[in-house]
Amino acid sequence: MKRRTVLKRGGAVGIVGLAGCIGGGSGGQETTTDGTTTPAETTTEETATETTEETETTETTEQSLSGTLKVATYSSFVDAPSSSPGPWLKKEFEKRHPDVTVKYETPDNEVNYYIQQAAQGVDVDADVYVGLNVEHLIRIDEKLGQQALFAPMADQLSNYGHVKEGLKFDPQQRAIPYDTGYISLVYDGTEVEQPPTTFDDLLKSRYEGDLIVQNAKTSATGRAFLLWTINTLGEDQYLDYWTKLEENGVKLLGTWDEAYTAWENGEAPMVVSYSTDQVYANRYDQNMEKHQVGFLNEQGYANPEGMAKFADTDTPELAAAFMDFMLGQQAQGEIAVRNVQFPATDWADLPAEFEKYAKEPENPVTFTYDELQGNLDGWVDSWARQIAGGR
Amino acid sequence: MTREEAGAEDGSASVRPSARRERAGPTRWLERHAIGLLGAATVVVLAVVFYYPVLTVFADAVRVGGEWTGEVVGEVLTDPFYFGLLAPIFGGEFGAVGEVAAESPLGLFGFTAYQALLSTVASVALGLPGAYVLSRYEFPGRRTLRSLTILPFVMPSIMVAIGFVAFFGTNGPLNDLLALVGLGPVNLLFTLEAIVVAHAFYNAPLVARVTTAAWESVDARMVETARSLGANPWYAFRTVLAPQLLPAVLTGALLTFVFTFMSFPIVLALGGFQLATVEVWVYSLVQELEYAEAATLAVAETVVSLALTYAYLRYEARQSGGGRAANPPPRKRLVPDSPSPLDALERLGVAAYAVVVAVVFVGPIASMVAESVTGPSGFTLQYYEFLVRRQVEGASFQTKPGVAVRNSVLFGVATLLVALPMGVTVSVLTARGGRKTRLADAAAMAPLAVSGVVVGLGMLRGLVFGVEVWGHRLQVTGPVAIVAAHGVAAYPFVVRNVAPLLGGVDRSVVESARALGATRVRALLDVELPLVASGVAAGAAFAFAISIGEFDSTVILATGSSSYTMPVAVERYIGNRTLGPATAMGTVLLFVTSLSFVVVDRLGGRWEV
Repeated sequence: MKRRTVLKRGGAVGIVGLAGCIGGGSGGQETTTDGTTTPAETTTEETATETTEETETTETTEQSLSGTLKVATYSSFVDAPSSSPGPWLKKEFEKRHPDVTVKYETPDNEVNYYIQQAAQGVDVDADVYVGLNVEHLIRIDEKLGQQALFAPMADQLSNYGHVKEGLKFDPQQRAIPYDTGYISLVYDGTEVEQPPTTFDDLLKSRYEGDLIVQNAKTSATGRAFLLWTINTLGEDQYLDYWTKLEENGVKLLGTWDEAYTAWENGEAPMVVSYSTDQVYANRYDQNMEKHQVGFLNEQGYANPEGMAKFADTDTPELAAAFMDFMLGQQAQGEIAVRNVQFPATDWADLPAEFEKYAKEPENPVTFTYDELQGNLDGWVDSWARQIAGGR
Repeated sequence: MTREEAGAEDGSASVRPSARRERAGPTRWLERHAIGLLGAATVVVLAVVFYYPVLTVFADAVRVGGEWTGEVVGEVLTDPFYFGLLAPIFGGEFGAVGEVAAESPLGLFGFTAYQALLSTVASVALGLPGAYVLSRYEFPGRRTLRSLTILPFVMPSIMVAIGFVAFFGTNGPLNDLLALVGLGPVNLLFTLEAIVVAHAFYNAPLVARVTTAAWESVDARMVETARSLGANPWYAFRTVLAPQLLPAVLTGALLTFVFTFMSFPIVLALGGFQLATVEVWVYSLVQELEYAEAATLAVAETVVSLALTYAYLRYEARQSGGGRAANPPPRKRLVPDSPSPLDALERLGVAAYAVVVAVVFVGPIASMVAESVTGPSGFTLQYYEFLVRRQVEGASFQTKPGVAVRNSVLFGVATLLVALPMGVTVSVLTARGGRKTRLADAAAMAPLAVSGVVVGLGMLRGLVFGVEVWGHRLQVTGPVAIVAAHGVAAYPFVVRNVAPLLGGVDRSVVESARALGATRVRALLDVELPLVASGVAAGAAFAFAISIGEFDSTVILATGSSSYTMPVAVERYIGNRTLGPATAMGTVLLFVTSLSFVVVDRLGGRWEV
């Protein structure tokens, strides 16, 4: 009863206060990247979880949130003809909070739109951004410096404790991961009898002309694959590796759609894509043999997507409630299934089909914010100049 | 010769002052000042939706972090990666030329120009026979076909890429057909050739359309005269007809070069990153918010395009002023009454050309349409069902096909109404001038010569975000801004179709009309424009097409509103692992656009002889 009173007055902030304690005062940058959790903390987290769940179910009548929440995101999150999570999230959140309206904004330039607004001194009108990655954060910090576009948020979310440690990509805890993909190979098993299992395998003449990759300059998956090669082969070796990959006839197309379509049309039997490929194949009744997922060096490059609260929002409680809702058990399952990505938390409700067909790599790898900062542009640029230069 | 023939009223020029009767009243005043007013309006529109936004971006090249600096420009210009051999020359390090020549002689700019040159040659080679057939032959459906030539021009690049990959692919219909006759397989995709063919797909129709307009307004009596004086047909063609057509062909070539020089999505989708162009770099630099470098590259692109345009305009100015009237020769029939061996040979050539057209144009478009009715397990209408469902049930924040179709058609018509007066005004104002007018004419072509990525960015910053004036933020978005932006993008086409023909109109005819008391506008509307009707019709078709196909600024200006158009909808319907709905929307675009072109051409056709 006492809990409800708190909720009524302070909205999400009430719960959040509690979650903040659990985090063990993790305001510092180091604690978040440090994966260790003491048993004591885990117990408290679980207790908090139960309480939240309870609140979630009774909230419909108890909540006091009202107003309009402007959620900015990339357009396929709400508008793609497959099953975008956007419409479901809006409907469900508005059902729980009848006085709240969720309004989506999907500018073509995505997060750059807001970075530019901030840089130009135009008031940012949105409250929450959905669809951030670590590169966006690096760009924001580089271009805007001290001018904060997003505000730290984690200690105000009761469900934050469920976010997988390895996916937390923002040392300042502005961006909260809500799902992740693992970059892997997808190959046609009817054509590739013996799939490559290491990066070195890809250089073998057996796979000459067999691989389609996206261009790291214009595509997120392409960039993830490039970073994966740097992660595995090292800063000093990756350019040589790419020279050999080129000699072995790798095709570099502009976007993931183009690459995947070319692969589906049989232009090459292997493509860089996501390890959830079979979930789609199953959904569209495709021949599974043609949709095989292959991990290199037993790894997959994690590409977590995050959300963040705009620093200037005038409805911080509403923003927090929405973000907490995105991390909730049910929403995590829905987002994963609709986006065909893995949930970013440890408690998502996933259908058995998803569990069966979504493949997780043995060793997920990724670069942290700190590792990428100051290096990213140079790495990608050297690569791009090597590929497109020399003519 | 023609001067005498066409200028029947020539003698009246001397009585000009006394013959001019002044009528009082605002209508008369308006009519007298119409050209000036339209000129001023054109300048204002250009300044607001083009020059201001674009210059805010260009300024980034020399203004970094609030400081003026030439550092980035210097770095880019002396970077062999960008400028190849020219880089050490720009940098004054002539000793390094040899070294660069060995490593990257062309640089990104050199390669981009090289592929644009190849694409231009291919487009002209593919477009000219089309112009010949369309202007010299009479056959059922000729007018419809002429209307449709412009169709490839409006197709979103994603559609073209899908069509090409499907049709020319390893397992595509082309290779199936080749296999039937024991040939192939042909591996065209992901090569320079693929880019060149796709560029020809886009631009050969442009060359054909511009040249057809010129061919339909040639003065055949001059050829007849030459023949009667003993010239053989080839000699008569070379000395009399070719000079009348060459400006149009070069216009088509120029536009093609400018477009393909700044090509970007097609290059990545069909060629691959190894064949990246400057525009690919501009795009990714803008994505990375590296504006100084992006702006420098974009300015360099514009300088190249405008320099070529200026060179062309100097040539065009030397050509015009011949003075002739539209008087095309009679059309031939596809099946001649009494075939001679030469006729038969020519018809054989036409047939061969038809096969090439089928492969380059019909094949990819048909493949694209086929994709829209092909699901994972065969024939399906589910993607069209999706469109209908989205129209009926779609949430307010989602893109509805019906709205996109309505907007596209409305914006297209509005653009036509804006771009035609703008283009004709600029054509009149820049006709027959000296060097300064040519410079102004080249500046008027600038909307074609600026990177689409930069135009989009400028619109975002300058118009969508707006400017703060006395505490109020002035923003320019929504339908009016979109039509203005389309008008600006489209009017150069009107100019390039109308100006060369207008330059060829006999001055004495106009002067007679003026002498008889007609205002400049009256003379233009009643005398000159009917004489160059085919150019005006071609310009109108282009204006409509540009509006339908425009993507870069539309998607920016439509942000947060329901002013999106069909290409924007196509882009938004690209789903995870399913291009079906996008191809269905693309097919709708194709259908609506075809229909509109036929209607526009029919309406415009009433003007033509």
